[in-house]
Amino acid sequence: MREMLGIAPDFAITRTSLLGRIALREAVQMAVLTKIGNRRVAFVSGTTVGGMEKSEQFYRDFLENDKRNEYIALHDCGACTEMIAKDFPGRISFQTTISTACSSAANAAILGAGLLKTGRADIVIAGGTECLSKFHLDGFNTLMILDSQPCRPFDKNRQGLNLGEGAAYVVMEMADGAAARQAKPLCRLSGYANRCDAFHQTASSPEGEGAYLAMMAALQDAGLQPVDIDYVNAHGTGTPNNDESEGHAMMRVFGNRMPWVSSTKGFTGHTTSAAGGVENVISILALTRGFVPANLNFSEKIDSLDFTPTTEVKTHVNLNHILTNSFGFGGNDSSCIFSKIS
Amino acid sequence: MDIFIRSASQISFQQPLDMQWLTAPIFPSVAFNPPLEPDYKQFVSPVESRRMGHLLKRAVAVSLDALRKGDCSMPDAVISGTGLGCIENTEKFLNAVIDNEEECLPPTPFMQSTHNTVSSQIALKLQCHGYNSTYSHRGTSFDSALLDAVIQIQLGQIGSALVGGYDEMTPAYFRMLNKLGYWRTDEASDVDSLQKSGRVGSISGSSAVSLLLTSSPSSEKLCQLYGIEAFSCFEKNQLPAIYHDFLLKYGIVEADIDAVMCGFSGDDSNDEMYRYFVAECCPQSDVLWYKHLFGESFCASAFGVYAAACCLHQQKVPTHLYYMKERKRDKIRKILVFNCFQNIDGSLILLSL
Repeated sequence: MREMLGIAPDFAITRTSLLGRIALREAVQMAVLTKIGNRRVAFVSGTTVGGMEKSEQFYRDFLENDKRNEYIALHDCGACTEMIAKDFPGRISFQTTISTACSSAANAAILGAGLLKTGRADIVIAGGTECLSKFHLDGFNTLMILDSQPCRPFDKNRQGLNLGEGAAYVVMEMADGAAARQAKPLCRLSGYANRCDAFHQTASSPEGEGAYLAMMAALQDAGLQPVDIDYVNAHGTGTPNNDESEGHAMMRVFGNRMPWVSSTKGFTGHTTSAAGGVENVISILALTRGFVPANLNFSEKIDSLDFTPTTEVKTHVNLNHILTNSFGFGGNDSSCIFSKIS
Repeated sequence: MDIFIRSASQISFQQPLDMQWLTAPIFPSVAFNPPLEPDYKQFVSPVESRRMGHLLKRAVAVSLDALRKGDCSMPDAVISGTGLGCIENTEKFLNAVIDNEEECLPPTPFMQSTHNTVSSQIALKLQCHGYNSTYSHRGTSFDSALLDAVIQIQLGQIGSALVGGYDEMTPAYFRMLNKLGYWRTDEASDVDSLQKSGRVGSISGSSAVSLLLTSSPSSEKLCQLYGIEAFSCFEKNQLPAIYHDFLLKYGIVEADIDAVMCGFSGDDSNDEMYRYFVAECCPQSDVLWYKHLFGESFCASAFGVYAAACCLHQQKVPTHLYYMKERKRDKIRKILVFNCFQNIDGSLILLSL
């Protein structure tokens, strides 16, 4: 990654920031943010691991000697965002960091929409970044929610999640702003909502109350009915608790008219704070290219659920509205709806 | 749309859950200042208390106290700022990972290590299913949380929010930051030396501040939140333009601002921006500070807003809040809180009677 970015081997930067910089560069290039005049650009990035991957390596040095002092100031989440933003080819007029665990990147997009709608920014770059660390790998392991096999979202015999790492950002702007600079939008963020399960610090409620509230409020925000949704990109981590809880919430929202549903974590692993960003990008690709991604490793339906996920990729389909779920520890549940531009 | 700060509560090294710091302040004499803990029994059961880390207990206590003072049983949203999250639990788990070579690790410190533990524990305690978010962006973590609450109110998504700033300083983190020149020596931690220019370092504090924001006016309130602007990556000489745009946006003139609450900490590299701002932007305003009473932390700016709100409500600025000589004023109508972190991220927050 250092090579890709042209960063010297001895320059102090965390892996989370490296991942973020690569995603930021791609987003900037695709949205042609190199020629934007004096437009105000906000950067909203989600992370929870931040600089932990370096801190866990150098923690004894931090406390006992002065060999790795340059990484002390890079430990916190905000430092990670700052380090990514420095790579932006222009002035970032406002930057901040959201840390709502695995829904961080989705909440970044929600704040981004708010910044645009209230006229506080002209362009927002929103998403998240997270690298693997022993800290959260071991942490998830103590909770016994890791699967030693490839994860099996929505499968009866699922054992847990596979941790992944990654970064993803979407570039957002109001329709008139995009038109004024002749930018061609990919889709519309037609609705979103953030709700709290308020059930348990790390477990979801059996009936998926937070997830249900988030999906319903996002639909209301978009002015859509459940039947309008063509595909749900589920949070679907592959843990026994999440998939059953999310499944029940989806049944409450969609009844017996369940849209296509898949979790794409079989492809990416669970990229935690970046997951909402990665899955927003996948959803936008699905919408614009007309396909439904497959839910990998599924063989048997969960007993208490009435639906099965989409196991084969469906191509040449017309999708108008996609709902994507991002749920996190602490019951931080958010849903975003992407719609085709009519 | 008008937005009000209806009530507030704090835990710091001043008397907790109280405004005694206005009349009977506790001045620091050392660089490491743990907070004075209130009796938590009124907020959490002994069983809950044993399970919660220090920061969580403080956050739940100030949140419940702010709601009680604001006569509100359920806010529409819980939004927190925290620069380091529950660092006490993070260190506990990190030490276990290193010491035990990743074997036999305790789950609880990990579960309570994520930054959003605070907002979610408050929601859990209140059974609040509404909007819930956490900002972790260094010295503007709290400012970002407050901005989000204002945006959600302006968009009609919520009508009220508990907005907090929470950080704890542990001995280990203090030692690490000390290597980077963050802190004073104990001998130079008194208020007089903090006020002298040309020095390095400040004093640390732990922060737990909760504000109840509402869009509906009530007879009992601390003040109005008149305006907020957050900005990043600016040069010093861009500050006057940012300030004038802010005045223009909110339809006020410089003379309307009676006092400016600045984040002077005693560290020259930090204080320089405040001195410049005061000289260039508001030479007519009184200059107040708060970090000598609450210490420096990533969420210290929450105390700036809290202290300004208390002064407006009391219609009195105590002598010990003046950074520079005071001017005589009959009435305090507006206080501007200016926060700036490492000359990278800043905010202007205007509070009005």
